[in-house]
Amino acid sequence: MTGAWTIYRRELAGLFLSPLAWVLLALALAFNGFFFVVSIKGFQGDIGQSMSFLLGGSYTFWMLVVLLPPLLTMRMFSEEARTGVLEFLLTAPVTDLAVVLGKLGAATTLMAVLWSSSFFYGLVAAALGTAPDWTPLASGVLGAILVSALFCSVGLAVSALSNTPLLAAFFAVIANVAILSLPYIDVLLALPPTSPVRMVLGHANVITQFQASFVVGAFDTKHALFFVVWTAFFTFLATRFLEARRWW
Amino acid sequence: MITVHALTRRFGPHTAIEGLDFHLEKGEVVGFLGPNGAGKSTTMRILSGYLPATSGSAEVAGFDVLRESLEVRRRIGYLPESVPLYAEHRVEEMLEFQGRLRGLSRADRKKRIPAVLERAGILDRSRAIIGGLSRGQRQRVGIAVALLPNPEVLILDEPTSGLDPIQRLEMRKLLVELGREHTVLLSSHILPEIEAVCPRVIILSKGHIAADGTKDELVRQLGGGAKLRLEAVVGADVAKAVRLLKSIRGVSDVRDCGRLGVHHVFEIPCAEDLREDVGALAASRGWALRELSWQRPSLEQLFARIALDLPHDEPAPVAAPAPEVNEAQASVQLTLPKSEPAKPAMKVLNPFETPAAPTAPPAPPKVVYNLNPFDMGATRDLSKPKAIDGPGTPPAEPRP
Repeated sequence: MTGAWTIYRRELAGLFLSPLAWVLLALALAFNGFFFVVSIKGFQGDIGQSMSFLLGGSYTFWMLVVLLPPLLTMRMFSEEARTGVLEFLLTAPVTDLAVVLGKLGAATTLMAVLWSSSFFYGLVAAALGTAPDWTPLASGVLGAILVSALFCSVGLAVSALSNTPLLAAFFAVIANVAILSLPYIDVLLALPPTSPVRMVLGHANVITQFQASFVVGAFDTKHALFFVVWTAFFTFLATRFLEARRWW
Repeated sequence: MITVHALTRRFGPHTAIEGLDFHLEKGEVVGFLGPNGAGKSTTMRILSGYLPATSGSAEVAGFDVLRESLEVRRRIGYLPESVPLYAEHRVEEMLEFQGRLRGLSRADRKKRIPAVLERAGILDRSRAIIGGLSRGQRQRVGIAVALLPNPEVLILDEPTSGLDPIQRLEMRKLLVELGREHTVLLSSHILPEIEAVCPRVIILSKGHIAADGTKDELVRQLGGGAKLRLEAVVGADVAKAVRLLKSIRGVSDVRDCGRLGVHHVFEIPCAEDLREDVGALAASRGWALRELSWQRPSLEQLFARIALDLPHDEPAPVAAPAPEVNEAQASVQLTLPKSEPAKPAMKVLNPFETPAAPTAPPAPPKVVYNLNPFDMGATRDLSKPKAIDGPGTPPAEPRP
């Protein structure tokens, strides 16, 4: 796995050397800051509620988590396939999985940088007199990183399929929204309440899995595993798609 | 070092390469030669482990490229045609990355990175950002990247494409040097390049190996066009002369190309040089000799023949015109009556005004035949008319 670590370092450097990452970070921070202030006003100064609003409790969070990872991962395979760098990576003595993991790690790290800015909000609030509850804040950040990893792996899988970054981003956003709307399929199917399909779909609810544990400040391995398994599944898909490229 | 057996790769209905068989010994320097689309890059991509083959097998250093891909990749330095480099990084960062990927230790990286940069002649730009380098400089960085792990096998896909003539020369020198230490497989569609660097050439055409061997072997193998040319006064009985010529050992066919003044021209296809035997015959018969020459096709002609898919005994299309012939031809053309120069079309400045009368159509191109009796088609095909379309045309351009 030294290969994955090497690629992770290269990708992270590549992300921070490109203006895109900085622009996305700045915009996302401005967006977050704006809604944090708005939410403090809305909750009449309840820092704890504002914090959970920022990390998973609101649609602003899900918007960011659906839109940003595709923009980070869109170039990772499709652009490299065009410039030919992918040929360099795929003929280096590293496995395809190491390539995918390195890139997934880099994209997730950038998202982690974004979410960990919440600690800064907490510090500011503490300095102004009202210290937030640190545990839900920490679990919220951890959960946000896990969700970001899931959507980054989706973005990578889509990027491995396309040679056009913009198309990759577009389809990844659609795929992300589709994953979020998975539990609502049963509304469409009008299944009886006891149907096993309905139960499975109910469990495949990313938002409730997230809100049941991370937002309230409880770290439940069941919910953490939910995200890890889905991320592993899409990482596997990305690796397979990457391998499929060789056969085209 | 490299063994390829019945290698085939298809892209959907298109067959890129089919049934390739070749073997490279350790330390050999072999050039892949072929027109664009012949399957050079596909073969190299299969060897580097980037593409899987549809069928057949390939081994590098005893490892199967598909099943033991990582082992193969560890032993290969591969430079793809597109010279893939991260444009946003500095040259030394790119090499650092390659060193880590290949598992070089920190000390090794520190030692080898400046060494390979020096070798590739780009050490002075090691702090430069790759995106700002010229094509030739990128090519050098690409070579340095491929060389860094000191691989047993170097696979270089068109290492000289996109370089200016001086860079090409330098690259050739570098390639010759590399050939002393590594097993090198390189490709090009430019023949002199391959000739200068590689003792052995594999010519690919439409996915098949058209020829494989050293330059001399190739000329012998493909030398269907080698022939003896005899121009002599043989008297009235031409049939007898043909019979006599046929009696020489090694001659199976004599082509009678007709009279040229008092001289008679024969062409004798033969793989070996029989000038002495024919000369002796001419001397014993008292034929007045004017020309006795053995014409062997050059590698360039062979390559062109393969590239254009011509049969072996057809004259190769590349033949440099002799300068004196050119002059003679030029003078002939200059004395010909010139056609009326075509009037330049009047430019209509007003877009609403259509020209009242259409301008005279340009004069049809004047057809001129080469009248030089000494030319004999060396410079061009006599059966095809040559067009001169106006007085402005410089006469007798050298054919490419």
